[in-house]
Amino acid sequence: MTREAAGFGASLVLVLLLVISFLIAISYGATSVSLRAAIGGDVTARAILFGIRIPRVATAALVGAILAVAGLTFQTLLRNPLADPFILGVSGGAAAGAAVATALGWARITGVVPVVAFAGALIATAAVFLLARRGSHTDPTRLLLSGLVLNAFFSAVILMAFALSRQSDLTAALRWMMGTLFGVSWFDVTLLAVLLLASMIALATMANDLRLLVFGEEDARSRGVEVERIKLAGFVIASVVTGAAVAVSGIIGFVGLLVPHLIRLIWRRDFRFLLPLCALGGAILLVLSDTLSRVIVTSAELPIGAFTALLGVPFFLSLLRRNS
Amino acid sequence: MLTVSRARFAYGQRVAVRDVSIEIGETALIALAGANGSGKSTLLKLMARVVTPQSGSLSFLGRPLRDWNAKGYAQQTGYLPQEPESSFPMTAIDVVVTGRAPFLTRFGFETEDDYREAAAALALCDGSHLAGRYLDEMSGGERKRVFLARVLAGHPKLILLDEPLAALDIAHTQQFSKLLREIVDRTRATVVFASHDLNWAAAYSDRIIVMDDGAIAADLQPSQLMNPEIVRRHFGFEAGAVEVNGRPWLIPKT
Repeated sequence: MTREAAGFGASLVLVLLLVISFLIAISYGATSVSLRAAIGGDVTARAILFGIRIPRVATAALVGAILAVAGLTFQTLLRNPLADPFILGVSGGAAAGAAVATALGWARITGVVPVVAFAGALIATAAVFLLARRGSHTDPTRLLLSGLVLNAFFSAVILMAFALSRQSDLTAALRWMMGTLFGVSWFDVTLLAVLLLASMIALATMANDLRLLVFGEEDARSRGVEVERIKLAGFVIASVVTGAAVAVSGIIGFVGLLVPHLIRLIWRRDFRFLLPLCALGGAILLVLSDTLSRVIVTSAELPIGAFTALLGVPFFLSLLRRNS
Repeated sequence: MLTVSRARFAYGQRVAVRDVSIEIGETALIALAGANGSGKSTLLKLMARVVTPQSGSLSFLGRPLRDWNAKGYAQQTGYLPQEPESSFPMTAIDVVVTGRAPFLTRFGFETEDDYREAAAALALCDGSHLAGRYLDEMSGGERKRVFLARVLAGHPKLILLDEPLAALDIAHTQQFSKLLREIVDRTRATVVFASHDLNWAAAYSDRIIVMDDGAIAADLQPSQLMNPEIVRRHFGFEAGAVEVNGRPWLIPKT
């Protein structure tokens, strides 16, 4: 029972940290808003707090949780510590979709970019999965390679699309590419919350099987795991939620890579424990990154995607060095 | 217990097991011998339900393997791959307790009983001192012992081991050859294991199946294997036989 108790304890600590980060995040911003004033009935304070700041911070938490859970799932499925939605081309597909929409001038219509980005993510996923398939078997190494190759292709599409885009459309497109939580709504919050909850429940039902993949697919099969079935299900779930998160927030890299590894370093446990801990860790990381991006320079918003990448790149490199 | 009838499996163009038919009885220690690439591993994988035959069929306890559900079959059988590994760092006891995984409910966690079973299995494999150590800090032989303990933790009726003795030091090779015999005698299980060590295989096994080029080349009593003529024919191994303590041993010719 001590293992479960310790897992529960770690979750409690992270929940507490998330609540604290959340409170800090909604207390600071371009305008200073007093929480007490908002509760006391100050109309402006209320509008800023409930109309802008809380949905934004909630979105940050949800996107962070989704990306971390997706990263954990990809790493588990591919048995590769370097796998994440970025490397597998899911984010790249979304970005290419958004770039093409921008070039066609569709970006001026509200709501089109997220939908096209989401479609791009799903197409990328299907392409990667089909490319990696050999008969009825999907080879993890081929999946990773297909993702890398498709990413190169998506980069080319993005460059071409930007070259053909109108100057006035480019600013918004670039901001999206760097990741931004500017202007998110309660609709986004609801959508992501439902998706996160559904995906976590689905992954929890497979957790006892997913954790056995650590020993290899053949070994897992001998332990009674229906490997191809959970691989397909896990891949689809992780891709759909990533697509939705990217559609709302743009490209925010390295959360999916960084968080599962940090949690593993502090807490080397199997998938069943990592799932809730990664969701909480991802939420905390993105809430804090978003707060920093808003607070460090008050005249402009620094891109949140750059913040997570600035943290992620050195970490990724040290990980690579240690693995070799 | 397990019947293999005309099972065939190929990796692409390369046929690994060609139309093999054998009957594996209850409570027996059966050695699978044969040169590298003769199909031993693939035959074990077919039996472990890790791969499905492209033609032919297998049945376990009178029921075709495809009619068994994955968890149910895993509760009755245990499989040790040739090169067991873990893609993320894990301690030995955490590895061994996954031998109980087929018995867990969907959302269930291992109970104290499962950990007790795991610790007992690890002790049986002379690995109690390894319990808290990480796999990547162990030698190949120590890792093999941990994974063998993992197989035993599930108390399978049919135990399939791919070269359990490879990578073990000479003392553990001796000890484990005996251990396999004890497992069969004590638990009434059937153990099928691939091995290149003919002397140890013959010393404790009830039956030796020799594979060559994906087919069964011979199905022998252990005493029949200890014959220079037989081992030259099936293994290309030049040996002489000497008698020690009333039983023959093969000695390589130099």
